[in-house]
Amino acid sequence: MPEHPANEGSLCPKGNAALEIVYNEDRLLYPMKRSGNEWTSISWDEALKLVSKGLGRAIKNSGPDFVGFLSSSKCTNEENYLIQKLARSLGSRNVDNCARLCHAPSVVGLNRTLGAAGMTNPIPDLANSKCVFIIGSNLAENHAILSRWIHRAKDSGAQVIVADPRLTHTAWLADLFLQLKPGTDVALLNAMMKVIIDEDLIDKAFISKSTKGFEDLVKAVNDYTPEKAAEITGVPAVDIIRAARMYAKSPASAILYSMGITQHTSGTDNVQSVANLALICGQMGKEGAGVLPLRGHNNVQGACDMGALAEFYPGYRKSDDPETAKFFGQAWGIASLPAGRGLTATEMIDAACEGRLKAMYIVGEDPANSDPWSSHVKDCLENLDFLVVQDIFMTATAQLADVVLPAASWAEKEGTYTSTERRVQWSNRAIEPLGEAKSDLEIVNKVANSMGLKFDYPDATSVLAEINSLVPTYKGITLERLGIGGLIWPCPSTDHPGTPILHSAGFKLQDGRALIAPVQYKPAAENTWTEYPLILTTGRISVHFNAGSMTRRSPSLMERAPNLFVEINPGDAAPMKIEDGDSVEVSTERGTTVALARVTDSVKPGVVFMPFHYPGTNFLTTDARDAEAKIPEFKVAACKISRRD
Amino acid sequence: MMRVYVDINRCIGCRSCEVACKRVHGGKGHVNVHITEDRASVPLFCHHCEEAACTMACYSGALAKDGERTSFSLDKCTGCGLCRLACPFGVVWTDKLAHKCDLCAPNETPTCVLTCPAEALSNDYEVALKRARARAGRATILGGKR
Amino acid sequence: MIQVDTNKCLGCFACSNICPNQFITREEEEGKRRTVRWAKCKEECDICVEFCPAKALALVPYSERTPEMIEVSFDLVPCEVCGKGFATEQLLKRIRETIPANLQKDSAGRSWVGICPFCRRELEAETASKQIVQSRRF
Repeated sequence: MPEHPANEGSLCPKGNAALEIVYNEDRLLYPMKRSGNEWTSISWDEALKLVSKGLGRAIKNSGPDFVGFLSSSKCTNEENYLIQKLARSLGSRNVDNCARLCHAPSVVGLNRTLGAAGMTNPIPDLANSKCVFIIGSNLAENHAILSRWIHRAKDSGAQVIVADPRLTHTAWLADLFLQLKPGTDVALLNAMMKVIIDEDLIDKAFISKSTKGFEDLVKAVNDYTPEKAAEITGVPAVDIIRAARMYAKSPASAILYSMGITQHTSGTDNVQSVANLALICGQMGKEGAGVLPLRGHNNVQGACDMGALAEFYPGYRKSDDPETAKFFGQAWGIASLPAGRGLTATEMIDAACEGRLKAMYIVGEDPANSDPWSSHVKDCLENLDFLVVQDIFMTATAQLADVVLPAASWAEKEGTYTSTERRVQWSNRAIEPLGEAKSDLEIVNKVANSMGLKFDYPDATSVLAEINSLVPTYKGITLERLGIGGLIWPCPSTDHPGTPILHSAGFKLQDGRALIAPVQYKPAAENTWTEYPLILTTGRISVHFNAGSMTRRSPSLMERAPNLFVEINPGDAAPMKIEDGDSVEVSTERGTTVALARVTDSVKPGVVFMPFHYPGTNFLTTDARDAEAKIPEFKVAACKISRRD
Repeated sequence: MMRVYVDINRCIGCRSCEVACKRVHGGKGHVNVHITEDRASVPLFCHHCEEAACTMACYSGALAKDGERTSFSLDKCTGCGLCRLACPFGVVWTDKLAHKCDLCAPNETPTCVLTCPAEALSNDYEVALKRARARAGRATILGGKR
Repeated sequence: MIQVDTNKCLGCFACSNICPNQFITREEEEGKRRTVRWAKCKEECDICVEFCPAKALALVPYSERTPEMIEVSFDLVPCEVCGKGFATEQLLKRIRETIPANLQKDSAGRSWVGICPFCRRELEAETASKQIVQSRRF
C-alpha cells in the first residue's frame, strides 16, 4: 500500500512473515478443556457453559472483585470496549491490558502533565524535525518504519541524539550517542534541563503562556550539574551539555521514547522528565516537535483509549470518580457500576497467589511469558480456581488454563485499531476464521450473554457506534470516514478532519496549561553486589515480537534468530573464559536460564542484555514496580553469568 | 544500470528484505544481510555484473547476460553449483538448483526496494545518487563532526 | 549403462540431482567431505551424461564385469578465511580455468576463488562499510 501515510507500503520483517503466523499449523481451532494434563476438544456450547460456571462461581462465592479480566492490546477497539464493559457490568473493577507492562507510565504521566497520552505528533511529521532525540528506544529494530522519516529529516540537516545503555542499530543513526547506565535517565534529563535553564535556552514565552510549575523545576534540577550527572550516568559531561544545546536550540525538536524510559520503578518519573524537557523548550504543538511515546502492540493505544485499564474507563474517565460510574451506568443501563480503581495486570498476579482473585478471563495476553519472574507467575495462575484463556495459539499461559477458547486472527475479523500515532484505522476481514475459531467480538458477546448480560452486538460497526456516542475523542470516527490512513483522534465530530498534532492550541488541562512536574533521580530497585555483579537489561530484536508466541512459530523469522542469547562485553567475558557462541548460565535471585553468549562491545562492561522473546529471560526479571503505574522494572536486574561446562 | 543499490548509511539491519525476498520467491530468498562489527549492516545480492563470472562458469546456458541484467533460466539449470563458486561476491545460492536475484522481473520495482522500511534500497540510480549527495552535503554542513 | 571416469569427476552432484531413477546417490559431510555413488544401471537414458559438466560419464553397452557400485570421495578444500571445507579441489580448478585471470582477483588484488561464498560476502560487506563503521565508533 504505497499510499499509506505512515509506512508508504514498506514492512518490517515481522510484517513480511505475517502469513506464516496466520496459517500456522499450531493455530487453536476448537474450544478445549483440560483435566490434569489432558486436553479434550469440546463444543462451543459446552465451553461457554464451563466459562459462565467458572466465572459465575467465583462471583457468587466470593464477589465480582474476585474475578480479573485481561484484555488484549492486539484485539480491536470494539473488542477491548466490550471486554471492559463485560468486566464492569459483572461488577468487577479488575480489567487491564498489557500496556501495564509497557506504557502505563506514559498513560499516567502524560495524562497528568499534557492532558493526553499518546504521540503528540504523527510519524511522517518526523521528517520535519531538526533535532531527533531518541531515548530508551531501539526504533531501528522495533519501529523500523520510523527510520525512513528520520533519514529524511537527516537529509534536510536534522541531528540525531540517541541515549541508550546499548549501542543499538538505532545508535547507528546518531550524531551524538549517550551510553548511559540503565535506570539513570532522570539524572541525564535533569542535567540537560539545568544546562538549558542556566544558558537561557528556555522558551520563556511558551513557559509563561502554556505551563505551570516551572519555578519548582528550576529548584529541583539545580543540583544536577553535568558533572554530577556524568558520575551517575557514565555519560561524559561535555556530551550532556552538547545534547542539551542541540535539543534546545533547534527550531523543531522531537523526543522519541519507549521501554527504556517506561519499564522502571521510576517509569512515571522518567516520562514526566521527558515531558518537562519538551515543555521548557516549547517543543510542543508544532511540526517536527513533540513528545512521542512509541507504542508497541498494534492496538495498545486503542486498548487504553477504550478503557481496558484498571484506573480508567473509556475515554480516560477516571474509574475512581463517581461521575464516571454515573455516566456509564446511565449509558449501559446498569444501576450501580463498581466504583474505584481495580487491580492492574501486575497486581492481579499477586492477588491470584494470595487468594484475592479466584478466577481470570485472559484474552490475547501471555503473562506466563511476558510478566517478570515467570516461576512466580506460574504459581499464581495455577492457584486460581478457574482460568479461561482466549488466544490463537496454545501459549504458556493457555497451557495453565481450564478452558481455552480459539480466537480468530486479525485477518479473520474486522474492526478498528488505533496505532501509536493515535491513528484509528479500519481493518477488513480477509478470510473466514480457521476451524471453529471465532472473532473475539463474537466470543465476548456469547460469554456476556451466557452470564446473564444483554450484549447484542452483531458486528463491529454496532460497537463502534456505541463508542462514538461515549468517547468524545472518537465521536467523529465512523466507518464511512475511515479510508486509507484512517483518522487521528481527537476527532470530536463527523465533519472534523482529525488532529495529527496535539496541543497546538493549548492543553486540555485546568486553565489550559501543561503541568511541569519536577522529579528527583532515584536508582533502580535492584543493585548489583558481589553475588550478582552484573546489570541485566532486557529488550527486543528486529525479527521477533514480544514473548514470541507468534514469531517463534514463523520459520522465516526463526531461522534468523533461533536462540536466546546474552550480549556481554569482552571485558566481562574474558576473565570468565567466555567466548562468542559459548553456552552460559545467567542467574538472578529469581531463577536461572541458559543462553548463548554474544561477546560484543555494544554493551559497556558491567551490563548484559537479553531479548525476552524466548522463555527464560523473564525467569530472571524482577517484579519490582513503579509505585503509581505498577509497571515492572524489566530494564534492571542484578545477575551473574558463568560458563556451562 | 540494472541492480539494486544499497545506501549502507540508511540500512538499519532489520532483515525485512531477506524475509520479503524469500516470501515472493517460493521460500528461496537471495539477499543476505551481513552485519559488520556490530556497527553497520549491508544487504548483499547479485550485482548483475557487466562481466559476470557466473555466466562464464555456467556450461548449460542457464546464466546469461540479457542486456544489463544477468538472467537465470531455471529450466536449463543442472544443479552443478559451479555458479555459486564462480561468483566473486558469494551471491548466487544453490538449493539443488541455483537461485539469485532476478530483480523480481517482470515487476517494475523489486520487492526488497518496496519493503525496506528505511528506504535503504533503490533500483533507481538517480535516487541513489541524490541520497549520496544529500549525505555528503550534510557532512559538510555539520563540519564532519559527530 | 553408464560408465564413470572418476578421474574427471568434479564432485558437483549434478548427475545425482538429475537421475530420474535415483541410481546416483550422494553424501555430504558438511564442511568436510563429499561422496558420489553410481549404482550400476541397465538404463538407456543418458540425461546424466548430458548434464555432467566434466564429461566424466558415458553411455556404454551393459557389461557384467563392471562393479555394482562405483564410489568416489573428495575432501573439501578449506576456506582460506574460515577454514570450513566448501568445495572440491576439482571444482575450484574448473573455476580457475573458466574465469579470466583478471576477474579472479578482487579490488585489493586478493584471489577470492579459495574463499567460501559466506566469507566472500563478509569481505564485501566489510569493504563496503569500512568508513561507516569507523564513523560509528563513538
